[in-house]
Amino acid sequence: MARVPMRSSLRSRDSSSTSTGADPRERIKDCCRKLVAFMCTQVGVGGLVVGYAIVGAFGFMTIETRQEYSHLAEVDKLRNISAKELWIKTAADPEVNVLNKTAFDLRTKLILKKFQENFTLAVKRGYDGRKAIEVWSFPAALMFCLSIFTMIGYGNMVPRTSWGKGTTVMYAVFGIPLYVLYFLNMGKVLAQTFRWLYRWIHECSGKQRTGPRIIVPSTACLWVIFGYIAAGAIMFAEWEGWNYLDSAYFCVTSLCKIGIGDFVPGANILESKSGSQTKLVINFVYLLLGMGLIAMCYNLMREDVRVKARELREDLREALEDIRIKMLTCCRGNPD
Amino acid sequence: MENRSWSSSSRRWRGSYRRKRRKPWGERLADWTRNFIAFLFSNVGIVGLVVGYTIAGAFVFTAIEGKHSLKRSGDVARLRYFTASNLWEVTLEENTIRESVWRNRVRAILKKYQKDIVEAIRNGYDGTEDNKQWSFAGAFLYSLTVITTIGYGNISPRTEWGKVVTIVYAIAGMPLFLLYLSNIGDILARSFKWTYARCCLCRCRRKPRGAGAPPPRDAARMNQWQIVKVHGGELETSSIEQEDSSSGGVAEDEEDEDEDDDDDEDSYDPQQVTVPLTLCLAIMVGYVCGGALLFSKWEVWDFLDGSYFCFISLSTIGFGDIVPGDEIYSSEGFELSFVFCSMYLMLGMALIAMCFNLMQEEVMAKIRTLGRTARHIFRCDR
Repeated sequence: MARVPMRSSLRSRDSSSTSTGADPRERIKDCCRKLVAFMCTQVGVGGLVVGYAIVGAFGFMTIETRQEYSHLAEVDKLRNISAKELWIKTAADPEVNVLNKTAFDLRTKLILKKFQENFTLAVKRGYDGRKAIEVWSFPAALMFCLSIFTMIGYGNMVPRTSWGKGTTVMYAVFGIPLYVLYFLNMGKVLAQTFRWLYRWIHECSGKQRTGPRIIVPSTACLWVIFGYIAAGAIMFAEWEGWNYLDSAYFCVTSLCKIGIGDFVPGANILESKSGSQTKLVINFVYLLLGMGLIAMCYNLMREDVRVKARELREDLREALEDIRIKMLTCCRGNPD
Repeated sequence: MENRSWSSSSRRWRGSYRRKRRKPWGERLADWTRNFIAFLFSNVGIVGLVVGYTIAGAFVFTAIEGKHSLKRSGDVARLRYFTASNLWEVTLEENTIRESVWRNRVRAILKKYQKDIVEAIRNGYDGTEDNKQWSFAGAFLYSLTVITTIGYGNISPRTEWGKVVTIVYAIAGMPLFLLYLSNIGDILARSFKWTYARCCLCRCRRKPRGAGAPPPRDAARMNQWQIVKVHGGELETSSIEQEDSSSGGVAEDEEDEDEDDDDDEDSYDPQQVTVPLTLCLAIMVGYVCGGALLFSKWEVWDFLDGSYFCFISLSTIGFGDIVPGDEIYSSEGFELSFVFCSMYLMLGMALIAMCFNLMQEEVMAKIRTLGRTARHIFRCDR
């Protein structure tokens, strides 16, 4: 499935290149068509992804904020019940009251423990002290949409209503192929750019190699990824007040699409009021661009890895052949 | 088959040419061992490697994170004692005369306590005294979600070493898992195609007399199939020569014949049989629904939650708001459901890879025809 869009674009390029006739009018037309094709493929797909995310953000905001979380009221009720129980069991009880500290401690601890257990359950169900409207602000919803169709899935905010869940599934079903299209297109464009850049630098550095094509070594790709992660780590560490390890951990887990979600920029309770909006948008751009870079590296490293694998296979075959011949000579040598 | 019997007979009969005949035999043995080793490395080996890697990861994470999580539940207990002593002091101060004032203050204390617990939970407290989060099964599921890039996040490393190890583990593990996916997906796709071809051809075999002749390209394959049918006792009149030529071999060793046939089919099918898209989609939907049914029976979820969980997991999104074995009280089913979940995930992702593998050709062909028609229309316009 992943190979499909690329093949199709390859095919379209083939067709356009074959139809480049001698006629100048034809050529101009061809240029125009190429331009339209470019808009449709690279920029267009990028715009489509962003637009899809924005539409999804608005959709999820309206769906999820339509009804208030039930667990907010539940937790309030829980606390009131506990306070009442404390009053009845300890302060109002003439035996315990203020005279018997050990009995008081014992009963209080029991009640507190019960409260804690119930409360932990509530937190597991998604209580974090915020109302639905506070949770589903626009940038946060944008991040949520991004995390769906890039398959990161941070899980710091999740749909709680059944409508929200159904919509998430549908949104993912349509969003993931779109994202894969973006991934492949972006990877191809960035790979071409990077290859061109690499060749240019290579030629500028004086080594005039007239080989048919210069394959970008995979170490260069790895350095690019490493640099991107390092830049992201420094950026998030500066903004969010995390230490460098935490932000590097966040960058790696996000760009690998793992998305553990224990660190999410701009989504902490403390951060929700202050100017986290621009940060979230920049985070959005960082992630989208990072995915493109990963795609680029995948694109570039594939041929390199393929060449390396072929060499390795040749080596292995030679080694096996040697071993076989040696074995054969040994076996044959013994009975003779 | 033919070849081998000939070579073996030649070995028996012509002793003078022993040297010359022996070499291909040795080569064949080497080939066979090489194929076997390749098979081991590519299929069984890769599954073993993935499972072994996950188990190793589980041990490492348990060792790193286990101690820390125990300390954390101690912290929560300390918090509780502290709150209790706070309450005692309030009670001493207010002296239980005015209930409303006392209750207001108690409520404030409880609110603070609640906020602290939220913080503690965010830092990895899971509500039990002996923290079971980083038990072996939990760590196993965590390692699996890291290398499959699901990343539920219901369990996350809190120590610095845990984070570093997670990064390294992910970087090494993801290519391994991709290898697993591509290999197993390929194998599954091939075997699925084979079964599908068998079913499809069985159906075709009865039909074609009435519904029009089979395409001539398939004729050779039809013969192949009829040979297979001969094994089952059904005689076909149309392929007697074929039968004759191979019947001697059939009598000699049946298993070998079967294997050869399989090999032939494997080399035939991938080019010729395309599994329809709808069937692939049906398999995926069926797997998700089956998982949803199982999980909704196993856990206390309803069907929507179950299918939501299955979809989110298999598409590697992995929000982690719903994870099996997440209930506090189900302490004995905890480990088992984690293991079950991991198995479901590994199998499911291989199945999805298989479906993509199968759908690839079909979609490509569809897109090609679409492109052709589109080009045709554009040509007409100009």
